[in-house]
Amino acid sequence: MASNILRKLSCSLKNVGLSGSRVYQGLSVAPSVLSRCLSSEASAGAESRPTVRQHDAVAREQISDFGRYVAECLPKYVQKVQMTGTDELEVLIAPEGVVPVLTFLKDHHNAQFASLADIGGVDVPTRMYRFEVVYNLLSLRYNTRIRVKTYTDELTPIDSVNEVYKAANWYEREIWDMFGVFFADHPDLRRILTDYGFEGHPFRKDFPLSGYVEVRYDDAKKRVVVEPLELAQEFRRFELNSPWEQFPNFRDTSVIEDATTPAAEKK
Amino acid sequence: MATVKAASVVTRQVRPILSLTQEDSRRRVLALYKAWYRQIPHIVSEIDIPKNQKQCQEKLREEFLKHKDVKDIRVIDMLIIKGQMELKETVTKWKQVGHVMAYWKDTVNKKPTDFLGKFLDGKD
Amino acid sequence: MAGVTLKLATGLTGMKVARHPTKTLSGIYGKILRTTAKMPDDAAYRKYTEAVVRDRAAVVERAGDDWKRVEQELNSGQIEELIIQADKELSLARKMLAWKPWEPLVTKPEADQWKWPPPK
Repeated sequence: MASNILRKLSCSLKNVGLSGSRVYQGLSVAPSVLSRCLSSEASAGAESRPTVRQHDAVAREQISDFGRYVAECLPKYVQKVQMTGTDELEVLIAPEGVVPVLTFLKDHHNAQFASLADIGGVDVPTRMYRFEVVYNLLSLRYNTRIRVKTYTDELTPIDSVNEVYKAANWYEREIWDMFGVFFADHPDLRRILTDYGFEGHPFRKDFPLSGYVEVRYDDAKKRVVVEPLELAQEFRRFELNSPWEQFPNFRDTSVIEDATTPAAEKK
Repeated sequence: MATVKAASVVTRQVRPILSLTQEDSRRRVLALYKAWYRQIPHIVSEIDIPKNQKQCQEKLREEFLKHKDVKDIRVIDMLIIKGQMELKETVTKWKQVGHVMAYWKDTVNKKPTDFLGKFLDGKD
Repeated sequence: MAGVTLKLATGLTGMKVARHPTKTLSGIYGKILRTTAKMPDDAAYRKYTEAVVRDRAAVVERAGDDWKRVEQELNSGQIEELIIQADKELSLARKMLAWKPWEPLVTKPEADQWKWPPPK
C-alpha cells in the first residue's frame, strides 16, 4: 500500500521518542519493528571492506517505490524518475510544474518533505536548455531525501517557490546571481554574492575562472577602480591527486538506473 | 564574394519574462530611463562622485544607446530587469563611490585600433 | 470530557493544544474528501489521497473523543500535528483541482536533456 511505503523508513526514528507529547499520564510507545529499518549488513563482504558504502536493498526499493508513486500522482509534470548509485531519488520535471510538484511533496500525507535543504544549479552549455535547477528536499516525518530537477535557458523564467518554501528566497537569489536564471514572482530577486556593479554570471561555464575584471584601490583617485584583467602568468592547471573528479569523460554512469515501472517508460 | 544565405525563420512559443509586445517593452524601457534620469540629481548631491549632472545624463544616455539595436523582447526584458536592479542598488546606497564611478571606466586604457598603435603595443 | 486525558502541552514551541481535536480532524478529513470527489475517478492523486484520508478518518471515528488512541494508532505525530497535516492536504487538494496534474505530460524534454554525462 502506497501510504505505508515511506512510513516503514521512519519507524526507527519516531520510536526513539522524538515526537514526545507532554501528557499527564506516562506514555510509552511500544517499539515496533526497529531493526527492520536499519541497514541489512548480512553479506560477509561488509565486514571485509568497512570503508566501502553498504547498499541497503530494502531502503533502495522503498525509495524507488516512492519515486514511482510520485510519477503516478503527477504525470503531467514528471518526465523521468531515476535512482543514483548512492541510492538517492531524483525526480526530473518540466519547468511548468515546479510549484505543483514541490507543493505536492510538501503538503501530501505520504510525502511531507517540509524542509528545503538546498537549491542548486548546473550549467551544461551544449544543451538547448542549458541550466538545470536542482531542489533538494528532506522529509523529517519519514527521514527521506529527494531531489527534484528542472531545466531552463538564459531567457526563460522559472516560477519561484518562495510561497511554498521560505528558504527558497536566498537560494533563488544565489541561482540568479551565479547563473542568470530569472525567477518569476520572487519577492526580492537581486544579487547576493557578487559585488554591486559586477557584470556577468560567474557559475556559467563560459565565464572564466579568473573573471574579466580586476579591482584595485587607486591612490590618485582615492577610490576603488575596476579594470580589465591582466594576469602576469597564464593560467596553469595542476593535476594533483585530489578526491574530486579529474576525468569527467571516464565517469561510470552505469549505476544510474530508471526507477519507472517497466510498463510506462517516461521520456 | 560572400554569398548571402537566407536566414531560416524558426518560431516557437516561449514564456515571456515581463513584456508581451514590442510596445510594452518600449514603454518599460522609457519608464526605466525616466526613473534613472530623475534619480540623477539625487545621485550627484548624495554620492561624492566627481561628475556633474550633465555628465551623468550623458553617461545614462550612452548606456541606454549601447543596446539600441536589441530586438528580442526577452533580451530587452532581461536588460530592463538588470537596469532596475542597478537603480535599486544606487538609490539605496549599497553601491559606493567606486561602484558608481565604474560606469565611466576612466582608468581603463583604450587598446589602440590603428595598425601602428597595435604594433607598438605588442613590442615591450 | 469525562474519561479522556487532558493534554497539558504539546511540548513543541508555538503549538497550542487543540480543543476538540478529533472533531476538527474529522471535519477537515470530510472537506478533503469533498474536494477530491470533484476530481476525475481515475486520477491517481485522488485514489491515494482518499485511501489515506479514509483510513485516518476511520481511526478517528472509532476513537471518538480519545485523541491519545488516535495518536497511537496513526503513529504520525501528535494530534495537533495530524491536524496540520490534514490542513496541508486540504489546501493541496484545492490547488490540485486547478492544476489538474492527472493530465498527460505537458512538455516533453529534448532528447539529450537528461543525458549524463553530456554528449560531446
